Parts: sequence; C-alpha cells; structure tokens
Amino acid sequence: MPFNAKSGKFSASINTVEIGCGDKKITIGGENVLPFYTFDAPVENAPKVGVEITDFGLENEPECIKKYYEGCETVVDMAKKAASFEGVDFLSFRMEGGDPNGANKSTDELIAMLKEIAAAVDIPLVVCGCKHVEKDAELLAKAAEAVEGKNAVILAAREENYKNVGAAAGLAYKQLVGAESSVDINLAKQLNVLLTQLGVDGKSILMNVGSASAGYGFEYVVSTMDRVKAAALSQGDTTLQMPIITPVASETWGVKEAVASEADMPEWGNQEERGIDMEVETAAAVLAAGSNAVILKHPESIKTISKMIKELM
Amino acid sequence: MTLFDVVFNGNDTVYGLTENAVDAAIAQHGADKAVGFPHTAYSLPCYYAVTGTKIEKLGDMKDALAVIKSLMTREKRLNDAFMSGVATALCAELIEALKYIDGATPYEEPCYGHLADAVIRELGVPLVTGDIPGVAVILGSAPSTEEAAALVKSYQAQGILVTLVGGIIDQVAEAGMKTGANVRVIPLGKDVTSVIHVVSVAVRAALIFGNVAPGDAAALMEYTFKRVPAFVNAFAPLDPVIVACGAGAIALGFPVITNEETFRVPKSLIVQKDVSKFNATSLEARDIKIKITNIDIPVAFASAFEGEIIRRGDMQVEFDGSRVDCCELVQTKEASEIEDHKITIVGPDVDEMELGSKNCIAYVVEVAGKNMQSDFEPVIERKFHNYINCIEGVYHTGQRDMQRIRISKDAFAAGFRLKHIGEVLYASVKNEFEAVVDKCQVTIYTDPEQCKHMRHEVAIPTFDKRDARLLSLTDESVDVYYSCILCQAFSPSHVCVVTPERLGLCGAVSWLDAKATNQLDPNGPCQVITKERLVDDRIGEYEDVNEAVKKFSQGALEEVSLYSIMEKPMTSCGCFECICGIEPFSNGVCITNREYAGMTPLGMTFPELASMTGGGVQTPGFMGHGKHFIASKKFMKAEGGIERIVWMPKALKEQVADRLNATAKELYGIDNFTDMIGDETIAEDPETLLAFLTEKNHPALSMEPMM
Repeated sequence: MPFNAKSGKFSASINTVEIGCGDKKITIGGENVLPFYTFDAPVENAPKVGVEITDFGLENEPECIKKYYEGCETVVDMAKKAASFEGVDFLSFRMEGGDPNGANKSTDELIAMLKEIAAAVDIPLVVCGCKHVEKDAELLAKAAEAVEGKNAVILAAREENYKNVGAAAGLAYKQLVGAESSVDINLAKQLNVLLTQLGVDGKSILMNVGSASAGYGFEYVVSTMDRVKAAALSQGDTTLQMPIITPVASETWGVKEAVASEADMPEWGNQEERGIDMEVETAAAVLAAGSNAVILKHPESIKTISKMIKELM
Repeated sequence: MTLFDVVFNGNDTVYGLTENAVDAAIAQHGADKAVGFPHTAYSLPCYYAVTGTKIEKLGDMKDALAVIKSLMTREKRLNDAFMSGVATALCAELIEALKYIDGATPYEEPCYGHLADAVIRELGVPLVTGDIPGVAVILGSAPSTEEAAALVKSYQAQGILVTLVGGIIDQVAEAGMKTGANVRVIPLGKDVTSVIHVVSVAVRAALIFGNVAPGDAAALMEYTFKRVPAFVNAFAPLDPVIVACGAGAIALGFPVITNEETFRVPKSLIVQKDVSKFNATSLEARDIKIKITNIDIPVAFASAFEGEIIRRGDMQVEFDGSRVDCCELVQTKEASEIEDHKITIVGPDVDEMELGSKNCIAYVVEVAGKNMQSDFEPVIERKFHNYINCIEGVYHTGQRDMQRIRISKDAFAAGFRLKHIGEVLYASVKNEFEAVVDKCQVTIYTDPEQCKHMRHEVAIPTFDKRDARLLSLTDESVDVYYSCILCQAFSPSHVCVVTPERLGLCGAVSWLDAKATNQLDPNGPCQVITKERLVDDRIGEYEDVNEAVKKFSQGALEEVSLYSIMEKPMTSCGCFECICGIEPFSNGVCITNREYAGMTPLGMTFPELASMTGGGVQTPGFMGHGKHFIASKKFMKAEGGIERIVWMPKALKEQVADRLNATAKELYGIDNFTDMIGDETIAEDPETLLAFLTEKNHPALSMEPMM
C-alpha cells in the first residue's frame, strides 16, 4: 500500500501580528501548524530574531560582546550598530537600570534614552522593563507614550501590573502589549483574559510565557510552550492564540556556562563559544517549541539562528 | 411642576441660548468660520461621540442644532428626560466651542476649560487601573467655604479626581487650597456650560480606551456607565438648566447628589441634606471602593511577623477563649445598617487592663455588599488569624470562640490599643474581599458581660447554624460544582472537581472555598461547573463535568466520575493528603496519609503509592483525596462506600473516627466501625490484616470483588 502523507494542519491558527511601521515592519504568527511543520501547510511568517541592548550600554557586557560595538560611545550608537547586524529583524531595548533594587535610574532618564533610540533606528522596537513590577508599571506606561506611533512591543505586562501597562500600551497609545507569565499555561491564559477584559484587543497581544536557559528547568518552558500551542491550534482556544516572543539573551548570558572565564574553568574551553552555544541552543529549542520571536545578544548567535530559521522554512 | 417639566424647561432654555449664540456667531464670522477645541483629534468630542459627525465650521453647528432638536422629544417618559439631558449637554458644548473661535483662550488661571487629548490619555490610565477611583463633578457653591474645602479635601484624600464648576471655585481659592491637575483638583469654569469639559473627558475616554465607535451612542453610554466612575455633587439652589444638565449626567450613568429638597430618583438623583455626608453618599451611589494602602497603626503590619511568638514574660495582656468568654465573628448586614470604617470599643481598653492579665474579647466584623453571601462569612473569618498575626507584637491562635490573643509589652508601649485590631480587621477585610464587601464596621467587646452575651447568644448559635448548613450541603442540594486547577503548574493535566461532599484532594479547598474563590477571582483557578446532564448516577458522571474536565485539562482527560475509584476515577496532582488503594485479598481498600512514613499492607509506602497515583493520570484502583473525604457518604460510593475501608494508619484513624463512625452508623447501621479497621499496630502485611478482618467480621469480606 502506498504511503499517504496526511496533513497535520489545524483549522485554528496563531494570530498574525505586525510589529513596527514603515518598510522595516515585521509580521509574526499566522501559522496553522506546529512549529516549522511546513510540510503540513505553508508557514507564511518565519519566526523573527531581535537583538538586545540595555541602558547600561557596554558597561556590563562581556568582552566578547563589546568588540562588536567598537567605536560606539553612546547607547544610541549601539542601537544603530545593533540594527545593522546580519539577521536582525528588530531591536529590543531593556531598561534594566530602572530597577529600584539596582541602579534605580529615574523614569525620565530612561525614557529620554528610549526616545533617542526610537528616533535613531527604523527597525521595529521591543521595549523591555526592569522586571520590578511597580517600577515597570510606571516606566512602561511612559515608554508606551514615548514611542507613540511606532507600533512597538511593550514587554511586559504582568499579573501585578497589567492594568497600568495594558491600559497605557494597549488602550491609550495603541502599542502591542507583551503579556508575561511564569511558565504556566493557566497563568498565561488568565493574563490574556484579564488584558482583553480591560479592553486590550487580543490581536495586539504577544505572550512571553516565561523562559530559562537550557539546562535550568528548561523542560518546564518547553512543555508550557507545547501545551500553549496545542491548546491554541488543536482546541482553538482564542485566549492562547497570541504569538510568543521569548527573551533568550537575558537568561543565557547570566548562567555560569556562559560567564565563567576560561581561566576559572579551563576544562570548559573558550568562554565566547560557550556563551554563543548556550544562546543558540536555548533559542533553537524555544523556536522549535513554538516561539514566534526570540531576543538574542551575540551577533554570531543571531546569524546562526536566523540561518537556522531560513533553512527550516 | 414635575421633574419632567423642569428638565424640559431647562433644556428649552439652553437650546434657545445656543441657537441665538450660533446665529450671532455666524452673523459675525460667517458660516465657513472654523470652530473646534484646541489639542483634540475629536472635534467637538461629545457631539462627535454621540452622532459620529465632526463639527468643523460654524455652519455645521446649524445642522447640529437640528439634530439636537430631534433628541428633544417631550413625552413624559424617563428616556425623553435623559435625551433632553443629553441635548442640553450638546448645546453646552456648542456654546463652549464658540468661546474658542479664532484661537481665543477663554479660560484663565486657575480655570482649565477644555482639556487636551494628552491630559485624557494621562488621566485615563490611572482611571482604568483604579488608581483614580472616581471622578467628582462639583457644581455650584457649597453652603460655606469650610464645607467646600472639607468636601474637596475628602475626595482628594481618597485619590478621587475633583472637577469644579461655578461658585465652588472661588470658595476653594478662598480656603487657600491649591488646585491643578497635579493635585487632582481641576477647576473647569464658572459658567454652568463649562461642565461639558468634564463630560468631554468621560466621552473621549470611551473613544480612546473603550474603542467605542463615534456615533454609537448606546455603546458610549454603556461604557461611561460601566467604566467611568463619575458622579455629580450639585449644590442648592438648582435651576432648571442645572437639572437638565443633571439629566444628561444621569443618562451617562453618573448619579447626581444634591442638598436641595427636590425630586428623587432612586440611585440617580439623590437628596443628601448634610453636605458632610456627600462623600459617603456619592461613593455608595456610584459603587466606588477606595483601596486602603496604609493601615493606621503604631506598629508594623507584615507577613514577616506572622510566626512571631509572644512569651508570657513579654506579654502585656492576653485574651483566652479557652478560659474566659471570647469569640470572633463575621456577620452580614444590610448596607444601611453599617457605617463604613466605624470602629467601636465596648469595655475597657488595653491600658485599663492589669499587666499580664487574662481578659475577655469578642470582635464582630459586620459587612455588607451586593455580592456578599452568608456562605462567605466563615471564609472571611478564617483569615482573621493571618491578619491579627501579621501585626508586629500581637499573636493569635485558634478560631471561633477558642481564639487566644497576646499583645506584647513593646506593642503596648508603642501605643497599640484595641482600636488598632479593628483597623487591621477593617482594612484587611476591605482589601482582600473587595469583590464582595462594600462596607465594613468593627465592634470590639471586652466587657465580660457583653462578651458572654456575644459568645453564647450570638456567636455560638451562628456557628451551630453554619455547621448545620455544612452538614446539609450535599452534592444533590447544590446546583453547581467547581473546578480547581491551582496545581496545574506542577501537574498540567490534573483537574479537581470540588463538590460539597468531595473536597479538593489537597484538603484545602472545600466547595465553599471554591465558591468564594470563584466570586473573588472570576478568572482564577475555580470555575463553575454545571451538573445538569447526568450520565450515570451510580458513579457520579455528568456530561457537563466531562466537558469541563476536558477543557481545563486541555484535552488530556475526557471523562471522570465523582464517586468511583475503579471507573474513570478522578485524577490526582501530587498534593493529596491521603491515598486510597485497592487491597485485593479483602475486597477492600487501604488508606494512607502523607504523615505516615511506614509500610502499608499494599506493600508500598506513601511515597511509593504517590508516584503511581499522581501526575494527573487516571489510575483505576488508586485515588488521592483529602482527609475530610474519608467520612463522606460519597467516598467511592460506586464500589460500596466506606464499608470497603480495611486499613488506615492509627493516627489518621483516630483523627477521622468520630465522623467515620457516624457515617457508618447512618449508612449501614454499624457501631464503632473504626474498630473493624486495621492499622500498623495490627498488620503491615495482607495476611495478618485478613486474619484480623475475618476475626472482626469486616463487611468488605462479604462484598463483591472490586475487579
């Protein structure tokens, strides 16, 4: 009997979301098959890759990152440079210094920096907060205002501050709202429901369902994404059909495999290679599990992952 | 004259004025003259929102007047009055817009007049998040400057945005108060028509934040009614124009509170003669709840102090329910019976008690709310332990009429008194139970006679009534069950179906808890499951339950029964208090609990059993459950019920003995059933257990085999 391949496409699909504006705008989502299952049905929008910079500029970056930004004096210079790396689809600006438990930079200072960056680059923008829920409530609300008209992703609203971030980003300034939950399908779903009840259009929500570096409880991340995609596609759950965006760099560049120096860990080999490996492995895995966009840091990782995506599509 | 006449007269007056003003403006500037408010993309926002038409030049106003006229129907029905109110508001907008012709700046400090779109976006976010809990529109002159200032300050203290129209602007200035958007007091203008600028805020909020399509007046009014928590305080004397404007406010869902003796419309036009009560009346009328961010007590309040123990030597005084009369109680009342935030002490305070003494205390927290149900009383009450324990230097154990409280010498020295317990209870209940509690007052009794009365005449009968209610709560007597998916983070496909007779397997979520959780957090882990389509009464299977389980397990589970361990048993996460497993030699089941570390006659310990029972998969023959479930009449009812229980750890057996024996007596007429059940002191292997069961003539032996 001849083998008849059966298409595994679903009747439901992931929402299609445009990020940014003008010529450089990108589109993610829209697929009605499991990640990269292009043999089941064509996938129109390939997953996208972003590059991350922070308000600290080069201050806290490892040497292997610094060399790529040679000659950059300001964060704005870095943003321009980052936007030119091969394979970069969008720029992610993380306002890490806002954390009251860290540098506690003022909202005004960070927003001023954000405005300069937004004026300097033309690729789509993702604006990330400092992970402190109260500060983010204020910071991200202001950020939504500062990049009005840019159709940027404000990453992210969490259960504790979704009203502030959601109302500012999703209602007042019509940006895209990132909804961040911590590795639990029900929490992801609940946050989407809360945001839509607030009045935010479900079609302008992106999810960050939580991430980890490969090897650090990563199986939870993968199984959460698997289940989110399964619910969205096979059960047609509209409250989970938002595309997923996953910040990878901020996870992998903090683990010992990436940061321990070769002097400390000679048996582990070259530090830069390890850092890239961690980033590439993690990114490849979250893409395979269903992320529609990843945020990376090392130009080599970005090049590798965008090549991988091209080959798989 | 009826209220209708007043509204219609007012409306006609304003319409006439507007018509004249528009005609005069056209005569002066020509019909093509551009009109509009500065810094807004919404033209004349109110007119645009209601009709979908943008007014751009003076000539358009002429057309607009015709449209407005069509709203001014004169039947004496409520809707006609409302529409005339809306027409009045739209006229006011035209009049105000005329003031801005040629880029004029008709308003001067401190008045704002028209507010720019940017201001709306800025105010809109805190309005949506509830950081601005309400918007007060104060109209006219208060009876005195002092009353004006006090009223405005009372709103300011609650974070409410205050807008001022008319005489109150001068009164507030006279009182030396600062005004401006930054202090959330915005004087709009002295003419009554300037009230339109705050209406314009509400309307643009609906367009910007509510995605209301311009011209969809019904959606607009629904949005302002549901989402814009505004209300009007109109001071006497009211003229027909103000009343007509008020009708417009009411049409948008904003109640009007006035101190003039006038017509009353329930929930909409409210007469409150006492200006000092405007605040409370307004908040109640508009359902505005103020978040309490700061509890006013002289010591710290945080969960860090929850585990703090106060030793006798460090203790100022104690209250001890096991020795003297004490009780803690929540009671549901009518809203009118409660004065929010009233705290009353009856009897001596801590500083009138002897050092180290043992005293009586009875505190009663009376609550009222539209969504409050007496079933929630014990749920709220059970939190008192946490609340009081979180106070630095105060310690609480026990519950109902057996609680014990100690106040430390340090807390006493810092100024801690009984009223502070009241403050903590008030603030905590209001905050945590916001969804059901609208008003709350606390009475604390320390007078021994009063405590005795409260305990024996009020509290104990209430507890008895509640216990009776719990006993009468059966799976058959309720209309719905609840799902609980609290542990799906760990066990992704597990769903608990919580029924009155089968609590969550963790033992922590009873049907009442699930019900309260659902009320308090409608999108949370506990959702309503209907039970209308019975499939099989014997094993407790319902189509609705199956559908819910399928949905909440994301398709992993298709069917569950509520009462069978063998057929489609309910899954277990990993948090179960007990595991019940089939024991083939005796046709019975063994139950073991988490605390018991030893061997069971099944040849497996609790952890070994747990590894095959948990994980959200259906394992016929094994189930996880709460301790409380053991004595339930629904305990594996399909297989014959509790008669099947042949073995339990001794400690567990003692814990459930009274209730289990009572159920066995009721169901099967067996006395002292637990005496027939083995434990680890009798047998840890099936042979010895069987010999014991045979000797006791355990009923399971003569039952049908389970497999």
